[in-house]
Amino acid sequence: MEPILWFGWFRADIIAEYGVMFWRGLQMTILVTTICIMQGTALGLAIGLARLADARHSPARQICRYLLRWPSTVYVSFFRGTPLFVQILLIHFAVLPLFINPADGLLISGETARSLKQNYGAFISGILALTLNSGAYISEIFRAGIQSIDRGQIEASRSLGLSFARTMTHVVLPQAFRRMLPPLGNNAIALLKDSSLISAIGLAELAYTARTVAGAYSRYWEPYLSISFMYWTLTLGLAWAVKKLEARYGRGDTR
Amino acid sequence: MDEVIRVEGLTKNFGQLQVLRGIDCSVRSSEVVCVIGPSGSGKSTFLRCLNGLEEASGGRVLVHGVSVHDNSTDVDALRSEIGMVFQRFNLFPHMTVLDNITLAPTKVRGVPLEQAREQARALLIKVGLLDKIDAYPNQLSGGQQQRVAIARALAMQPAIMLFDEPTSALDPEMVGEVLSVMQTLAEEGMTMMVVSHEMGFARRVANRVLFMDEGVLVEEGTPEEIFDRPREERTRRFLSNIL
Amino acid sequence: MNLLKKIFLPLGLLALVAANVHAQTKELVVGSSATYRPFAYENPAKEIVGYDVDIIKAVAQKAGLQIKIVNTPWTGIFAALNNGDVDLVISGVTINEKRKQSYDFTAPYFEARQLIGVHKDSTAKGLKDLAGKKVGVVTGSTGDDIASREFGKTSPDIKRFESTPVAISELANSGVDAVIGDNGVIAFRVQEHKQLKTVSDPNFPKEYFGIVVKQGNKALLDKLNAGLAAIKADGTYAKIYKTWFQSDAPALPAQ
Repeated sequence: MEPILWFGWFRADIIAEYGVMFWRGLQMTILVTTICIMQGTALGLAIGLARLADARHSPARQICRYLLRWPSTVYVSFFRGTPLFVQILLIHFAVLPLFINPADGLLISGETARSLKQNYGAFISGILALTLNSGAYISEIFRAGIQSIDRGQIEASRSLGLSFARTMTHVVLPQAFRRMLPPLGNNAIALLKDSSLISAIGLAELAYTARTVAGAYSRYWEPYLSISFMYWTLTLGLAWAVKKLEARYGRGDTR
Repeated sequence: MDEVIRVEGLTKNFGQLQVLRGIDCSVRSSEVVCVIGPSGSGKSTFLRCLNGLEEASGGRVLVHGVSVHDNSTDVDALRSEIGMVFQRFNLFPHMTVLDNITLAPTKVRGVPLEQAREQARALLIKVGLLDKIDAYPNQLSGGQQQRVAIARALAMQPAIMLFDEPTSALDPEMVGEVLSVMQTLAEEGMTMMVVSHEMGFARRVANRVLFMDEGVLVEEGTPEEIFDRPREERTRRFLSNIL
Repeated sequence: MNLLKKIFLPLGLLALVAANVHAQTKELVVGSSATYRPFAYENPAKEIVGYDVDIIKAVAQKAGLQIKIVNTPWTGIFAALNNGDVDLVISGVTINEKRKQSYDFTAPYFEARQLIGVHKDSTAKGLKDLAGKKVGVVTGSTGDDIASREFGKTSPDIKRFESTPVAISELANSGVDAVIGDNGVIAFRVQEHKQLKTVSDPNFPKEYFGIVVKQGNKALLDKLNAGLAAIKADGTYAKIYKTWFQSDAPALPAQ
């Protein structure tokens, strides 16, 4: 391919040559981010509630304390207190082979394990690591959001005869969700950017593509500037979507 | 049964602090009972014990003969029989007035939505706020919010309404509209227990007045007995301070 | 006049001496990616050691150069050379035409072949047998080049990693079917895993490692070539080779 120079120095032909890979990488980045945002939010809600779990009478009181609050606190502390990069490597090279392994996988072994690992190994590990990591951060957002709701709201709801679960779903969480939207949006943007770390275990997303191109041509401006613009566009899109959501759900909040 | 609420030897401690020191009383159907007393006398705590928002430390509370603080009691079902109005209204800010009122009937009682809405409109007419049906709470004045809160509680068709200082967070000019709604309710035969500093209201509307101080029921009687011929020195001192 | 001379002459001399001393003691920074055992790796004492390190030290000694070896990640090693962070690179860099367009190479100091690492039960005899299989390579390496040419540079079957050990770990965990890499490293790594073996494809061309300098830095290139020739002539080179590869050094072409 003939070198095509933009502005006298930008080798556009390199990007065109790897166009398919950039396109697939972009799709992979979006897919991973979307899955992790959804799973991380669900996990974060569960962990956030577990961290707030309490009951008035034993044995429920002890169950809440030892089976819900303590494990979830340790979980959050671990995933917030260790680097995501380390978590990805740990899960991919240590934890996952324990469970999915052709020789002696605890969960899946044999030929299934082999084909699973080869086709989806990095994908599974990456999603797992990013979900667990963002779940820990999101649980803190949920916890703070729930705790920010005035006790009077819960009392009013309970005194109308709504159960704890209904009070949560109809009264507390909808209000908390509004307040959590900005931090959740920040978290989603962080997650999008952090997904680039999964390239280290060979998942063909955007950063991996850029690394491939840089490796082949020893040129850095073209691939990394290109993916920077792609990430930037995506984060701008996410920020815009969060703003729309805030405008839509922001009514009625007196704060 | 004529007796809606019966309280026997109710005590409540917050740590070392004894807030309620053994309270006995009862409320009959269609009776309006006002609880008065100085700040910190335990009036609000007492009221909150009646629907289980506060755990009792000792004694018991029976609503229609069912003990509120028993572990085996379905407290949610019991609470749906007891309406409560709070000092700070506690409307759900993310819902319209209409949704505030229909939430509990539809979710707890399973009333069809249309029917719940019809009832909500009727209640809003009663409290004079039909034109605010689609407003959000933050678009209403304090007095309007409190009237919506009363309509919300009434939507569950409770056997008794508890009012926890319903006018103390209001600007003076709005107190009247809330009290007049409460008076209408009383005249319609609603059973009510009202913790309030509104002595005028107590004198006008109450069948019975309870005077509480330092966690005990000091004295009870008709409004005339309490306000005009108080027997206890503590009651006299309290009344002379505020009237 | 005389007085002035008396004062300025020694000062001038001093300046000359200082400049000279400065020129002689100016340390050249050598970039090497120390994740490339046995060519360059960090020993437990955090020193970078290996075949490459011994070679460059011997060359520098003969050429009268002061050097300092800096651990530079492979991904950014050419960028570091371009922007002057390092003056030269010795990091198992294969001499090829594409790289020669952008950088200058010394004479070869190592004969490299590509080697394929596979599981012991594999029947693969060469590169062609890897079609349709997942192939692990190090981003931008010669193995990457070979796989890209054979299977297409944007093929999802090629899985690129940051370093050979990571690629070999992935092979050991069955995340890929084969790893193509430089003979020295593949052979060394495969012997660490009893379930793996190496396959040599006779069609792989012989290649050579060279020391890299910035294009046009002829002064440095000449000094390095002279030093390299000197250690080849006096037997130092053969001794170093024997130390690291337990076999006699093959004859290397002069250029």
